[in-house]
Amino acid sequence: MDAALIAALRNVLGEAGLVGSGSRLVPYESDGLAMLRHTPEMVLLPRTTAEAAHSMRLLAEAGVPVVGRGAGTGLSGGATPVEGGVVISLARMRDVLEVDPAGRLARVQAGVVNADLTRAAAPHGLFYAPDPSSQMACTIGGNVAENSGGPHCFMHGSTTRHILGLVIVCADGEVLDLSEPQPDPSGYDLIGSFVGSEGTLGLVTEVTVKLTRVPPVTETLLAVFPGLDGACDSVSDMIAARLEPSALEILDRLTIQAVEASVFAAGYPKTAEAVLLVELEGSALEVDVTSKDVLAILEQRGAIELRKARDPLERRKLWAGRKGAFGAMGRIAPDLYVADAVVPRTKLRRMVARTAEICRERNLRLATVFHAGDGNLHPNICYDRRDLDEVKRVLEAGRMILQECIAAGGSLTGEHGVGLEKLEGMDMLFKQADLATMCRMRDAWDPERRMNPGKLLPVRACREVRTNPLPGVEARDAAAGAES
Amino acid sequence: MSTGKEFAPPDATPPQADPIAHARDLVDYAASLDCIHCGLCISSCPTYRISGRESASPRGRIHLMRAAAESRVEADADFAEEMDYCLVCRNCESVCPAGVQFGRMMELTRDGLESRRQRKLSARLARWLGFRIVLPSRLALRLVGTLTRLMQVTGLARMFAPALGAAGRALQSLPALPPARERALLPARNRGLRNTGDSDARPALFMLEGCAQPELFGHVNRSTVDALCAAGHDVHVARAVCCGALHAHNGELDQARQLARIYVQEWVRSCAAEGAELIPITNASGCGAHLREYGELLAGDAQCGADAARFSALVRDWSELLSPRIADGSLKLTAPTNVSGPVAWDDPCHLCHGQGVREDPRVLLKAIPGLEQVELHDSESCCGSAGIYSLLRPADGAAILAPKLETLANSGARTLVTSNPGCQMQWLAGIRSKGMDVRVVHLAELVQPTQRT
Repeated sequence: MDAALIAALRNVLGEAGLVGSGSRLVPYESDGLAMLRHTPEMVLLPRTTAEAAHSMRLLAEAGVPVVGRGAGTGLSGGATPVEGGVVISLARMRDVLEVDPAGRLARVQAGVVNADLTRAAAPHGLFYAPDPSSQMACTIGGNVAENSGGPHCFMHGSTTRHILGLVIVCADGEVLDLSEPQPDPSGYDLIGSFVGSEGTLGLVTEVTVKLTRVPPVTETLLAVFPGLDGACDSVSDMIAARLEPSALEILDRLTIQAVEASVFAAGYPKTAEAVLLVELEGSALEVDVTSKDVLAILEQRGAIELRKARDPLERRKLWAGRKGAFGAMGRIAPDLYVADAVVPRTKLRRMVARTAEICRERNLRLATVFHAGDGNLHPNICYDRRDLDEVKRVLEAGRMILQECIAAGGSLTGEHGVGLEKLEGMDMLFKQADLATMCRMRDAWDPERRMNPGKLLPVRACREVRTNPLPGVEARDAAAGAES
Repeated sequence: MSTGKEFAPPDATPPQADPIAHARDLVDYAASLDCIHCGLCISSCPTYRISGRESASPRGRIHLMRAAAESRVEADADFAEEMDYCLVCRNCESVCPAGVQFGRMMELTRDGLESRRQRKLSARLARWLGFRIVLPSRLALRLVGTLTRLMQVTGLARMFAPALGAAGRALQSLPALPPARERALLPARNRGLRNTGDSDARPALFMLEGCAQPELFGHVNRSTVDALCAAGHDVHVARAVCCGALHAHNGELDQARQLARIYVQEWVRSCAAEGAELIPITNASGCGAHLREYGELLAGDAQCGADAARFSALVRDWSELLSPRIADGSLKLTAPTNVSGPVAWDDPCHLCHGQGVREDPRVLLKAIPGLEQVELHDSESCCGSAGIYSLLRPADGAAILAPKLETLANSGARTLVTSNPGCQMQWLAGIRSKGMDVRVVHLAELVQPTQRT
């Protein structure tokens, strides 16, 4: 990296705002998808939109690719650094700028941690609804980039439904202020198109979010099943009966064992083959009526034990267990591939069985946990990144699962984004013309394609000429090579 | 070593041949594999919250350790600096779903770094004096205590501190030392009060006075023993001086093992003399967390290993002995006379994260009638004391305390309650620097006078 550029950036950001070289860069080499790695040239840590914009201008002049990063908890490689690129981290932009209980909104810097936002809103009887499992660490900016979901997005909708305004630093360093909340914006809905763009359009530095009222009554049910089928069928039945729980989550046996061995032990029965967590929100009457219907379905589908959280503490524990599931798998394997597959909710049961088959055929250990209400499966495949053959088999299984989902009328990603992980899937799901159209939109924002290049849209679609392979491509190529 | 892979299938592919022989003394490689890189820990980390650098977060530090073992990074100055910057507060352990034993990993890494470091002669001398001569010796501690008191009383401390560099800063950050009579050691045996109605005797206890506590806050030890005796326990006071926690946290594992052996052996002898298994207790959280790890620390020790494991399993914080007595009604507390409310409890890291003790101190405080209390929302985050961290890195220690001072100011508390001498000193220094009117007390100082016997 050019010394003059580094000096100029240091001038803008100060000594503590720039990690220029050495071992400190290594922890940035991956996000939650640890199999794909690339060490960045530099990490920038701006504190304000102005600092971010100034840095971006300097980087634009030098033609350097930029990867935005929140907490690096994403699971599709969205925040994995790219060849010759720098990382702009939002970790020092964590101020809650304003909580407006009357307007039911909050304005925050993009590095604010999801759970901290809810904590700031709590005194007003409000909360920020999207609750990704990593919410105690992940940032609002990262949530915007990935259009993150979470268990309760079944009822409340994913991130895009909660974003009222954004301040965006564009690729050339221009600051685009879309932070004035407008219920019905005139012209194109730029915010809508930006949310979920995975850092390929610009860097978000400030976010205005909608806050949701804490429901008067919340009830959490835990149903224990002798197998995954009963749990899946219960969910399909509830959807068919038009019941509206706020969250429907299924955990399988291996996941339960991992969670129960952890600090997040929630009291799930360790011998259960599957548990289904059902949460109901609303007025006392609503919850009471729905609860009866839900219980009837659970019993009919063979639940062997039904439990109601007695108090908020028990409810919190039940959820903390679910949310710690990914990390808890560290007890079982050094690495975990968290797939993110979506199928129509009537096909849950078949897809779950098929996923298990795919992993069994490849001698891979599978733990399944999923947002059943959304038809969003997270087959968690155990591996060890040091075992290249295993990595190859994991990637193959991931691809097979995606193919099956698409064939079943589902989609590529429920909430983790495409990132690097599912680039090939984009080719499976979309025609070349569709991808080219997406590329044109991307070019409108970032004509030089310097923002998070090589993510979300397959390289071919953008006709990008690359001499250097993308991070992780070696592993995939090795997989393809071994197959053919 | 990690034992975390309890569900590993028998047919799992074995990892490739061990490539990390060069880093055995630097990185607990097996433990580093327990980290699955989920990142849930990072915002619990005080140094990450301040710096924003992932290399200064638990996940980042583990990543660096693993990379060093895999020869992907050098254990160079940057690496060492990120490890030194860590407080070892172990907040990350409380939120880690994979159960990564971060504190233990860091102890090994600090020890490995220390043996690789080229320190200046003066620094080596200072470390040797501090860790080998002063901390393990009551006589030396006495001497330092008396000299310090002399300098404080005569005003020499203030006069010379600027000329003494780091030592001067340390000298200035110390609270006013009490007169010698208040620093007197406790009697070796303290008999518990027996009520005529008591059918079974309370278990006898084995208490550590600690290295710094008698010099800095001798009355805290006295209050603790009085409180436990009043509750019916016989309290034996150990002659061993330092438990070795400071050594273990600062790259002196061998010396830490040596001190652990001394302490465990004394406990074994005392138990034999009493004909009963004495329960080891402390009132200093940092020591308590470390005592609970003697078992692992001395795991390879043919002579002491088994005793150390037994010892560790029995260790309790003093509050754990009293709180059940509140619940069963056999201990009643009266209104306090020596504190002004509201009071706020600040969890010492090595009590909540290191020992998992969160409720017992709160139970005791709640049982004091008429005592107004406020909760600090960040009570489980580190105050920046972290053993001798605040002496070694005063600017970082102060930066970590700053947001907590703000919380304290906003809470309206007039008394801050904690239970570790380091935390007590750090809070005193911080409160003094802000000119706030808040008293800092140890939980025992508050509880003991309210005990109705």
